[in-house]
Amino acid sequence: MMEVRALAKAFSGVKAIDEFSLQVHADEYLTLLGPSGSGKSTLLRLLAGLEKPDSGSIWLNGVDITTQPTHMRNLGFVQQKYALFPHLNVIDNVAFGLRHRELDPVTDPARVEKRVADILELVGLTDLGGRMVGQLSGGQKQRVSLARTLVTEPKVCLLDEPLGALDANLRERMTVELQKIRRALGVTFMHVTGNEAEAIAMGDRMIVLDRGRLLQVDPPDTIFTVPATIDVARYINAYNILSGTLSDGRFTSSNGAFPVVGDVPELGYYAVRYDAAHVLAPGEMVPDGSASMSARFIASEFMGSQIIYIFRRIDGGTFEVVRHLSREDPASYERDQQCTICWHAADALLFDVKGRLVMDNSMRGAA
Amino acid sequence: MRNFNFLKAGLGFYTALFITFLYAPFVVMGILSFQAGPEGGPQFPIIEWSTYWYQHVLGIAPPSRVAPLPIAEALTRSLTLAFATMVVSTVLGTLTAQAFRRHFKGSGFVFYLVVLGMMVPGVLLGLGMALVADQVGIARTWWGTAFVLHVVYTYPFAFLVMLAIFNRFDSSVEEAAWALGVPPGRTFRKITFPLIFPGVLSAMLFAFTLSYDEFPRTLFTGGSEVTMPIAIYGTFAVEIHPNLFAFGVLTTVFSFALLSVYGLLMAASVRRAKTKGIGVQEDIE
Repeated sequence: MMEVRALAKAFSGVKAIDEFSLQVHADEYLTLLGPSGSGKSTLLRLLAGLEKPDSGSIWLNGVDITTQPTHMRNLGFVQQKYALFPHLNVIDNVAFGLRHRELDPVTDPARVEKRVADILELVGLTDLGGRMVGQLSGGQKQRVSLARTLVTEPKVCLLDEPLGALDANLRERMTVELQKIRRALGVTFMHVTGNEAEAIAMGDRMIVLDRGRLLQVDPPDTIFTVPATIDVARYINAYNILSGTLSDGRFTSSNGAFPVVGDVPELGYYAVRYDAAHVLAPGEMVPDGSASMSARFIASEFMGSQIIYIFRRIDGGTFEVVRHLSREDPASYERDQQCTICWHAADALLFDVKGRLVMDNSMRGAA
Repeated sequence: MRNFNFLKAGLGFYTALFITFLYAPFVVMGILSFQAGPEGGPQFPIIEWSTYWYQHVLGIAPPSRVAPLPIAEALTRSLTLAFATMVVSTVLGTLTAQAFRRHFKGSGFVFYLVVLGMMVPGVLLGLGMALVADQVGIARTWWGTAFVLHVVYTYPFAFLVMLAIFNRFDSSVEEAAWALGVPPGRTFRKITFPLIFPGVLSAMLFAFTLSYDEFPRTLFTGGSEVTMPIAIYGTFAVEIHPNLFAFGVLTTVFSFALLSVYGLLMAASVRRAKTKGIGVQEDIE
């Protein structure tokens, strides 16, 4: 439905968006994960027409909208700080686009009223229509901002860190809410976030962006289990990443040498998921087909359903092990205790020197 | 602690002095304006309290040897000129400040060019304008040459006020309006202007007051039909009677009335934008 072709934008010589291409489908929830400074906000502004691209094009339903001004694009844009109109009340904020837009304005007051009432009901703000926006809480402002955009029935709704300014509790509830609202309207959402959990939980598909380049577009579970590059693995914050080289068929680093499953020409990185590793009990032997390393225990973090153990590696980096408490009881370690951590060699993800995944591990695990 | 008290006392004394110098002349003028007339002069003691000079200013006192102030026409001229200047300067200043939001090429140069209008000494500008007008055969009038200089003078003030307002203005609300499909012109009218309106009021006030009591530029370019400050100066130069003070009090009261209207408008626009005191509650269910 929307297609982005080789979009590029540089600010005073620094590339913010670099040859970005993407196919956006109708009726999907697309999340875009990127660290701060990765160009994710710039990308949204380019799509919304608030910045001019240096090259590339944007197509919406077969029409090139690259040079169209923002108000002719019919793309919704929900800003991070809501940007509500402070001099209008909730109803007038929401009705603003319908009443005053250039294309197809709704002139019949009764119809405006009806549509505003419908959308306020959808976002759960029916009782607050007469309030000035200064009187609303953060979560309510968020909803007004969303309702204001959705009432204009945009083809694609761009959301710039919509949950960024909410506290954790509210954020969780809005996560569910956003998906519910999107499904009810069938509009495509493109949700930009710096929070990997949010991106994974909400998206039908997920984009990982880094330094203006697209690293991977896939369903979140694929990105989680088979990150295409070492950077993707880093951003989803679920992998221990070691760097080293291949020698004698083993991945060798200052933390030790680990057996490598399969035939690979070279290696640069080795990633072990937090929950794929476990800590050996005293006296327990390293099982066959497993890799192991020695590390010093630093701290643990109890999360209710799981516990995270944090270890100091020999090379100084940290190594995290997640233990799901539904299956095991928590174990406790002394600070600075030397432990042996082990994992199935086949569970490790291997990356070449350039950081590209060299072996599809999930396929082999399934076989 | 003692040092601190000392500093406090010092600052208090300084503030008292400041206020005295600011308001004492006005208080003296106010008292003297109630001098008995027409024999009483602009000095103490007060012979007898009376409102004679007020009647004199308003032209309802019996004729006497003191000539009435030639203010009726001058006042109309000054007010008309100040009003026209206010409108033109504020519109120009707002539009220029709006242009400066885009950081266009050469904006630094243009900035100094605009601000030059308030930096150049008024006497120089007035004299220069008078000479040029005479050279090219343009009559010097308060509504022509003087008006142009008033705009040149007040426009930078209005521009600077609006520039400060736009600096604090969060342009994301405009982007939000565009993204809703509202074209930029309508966005300016419906969103930007209502939000910067308090600033526009300030710019208007600035332009009006500056123009209203402008002297050097008007002196040289105003021609024979004088404005208020020049009319007052004219009577001042001959002989001073308390009717001037009465007039001063009247104009001050008028200014305060104007300021009050400004304050009320401002308060209303602030109130509209703010909460009405109902508690903000978190209800997300």
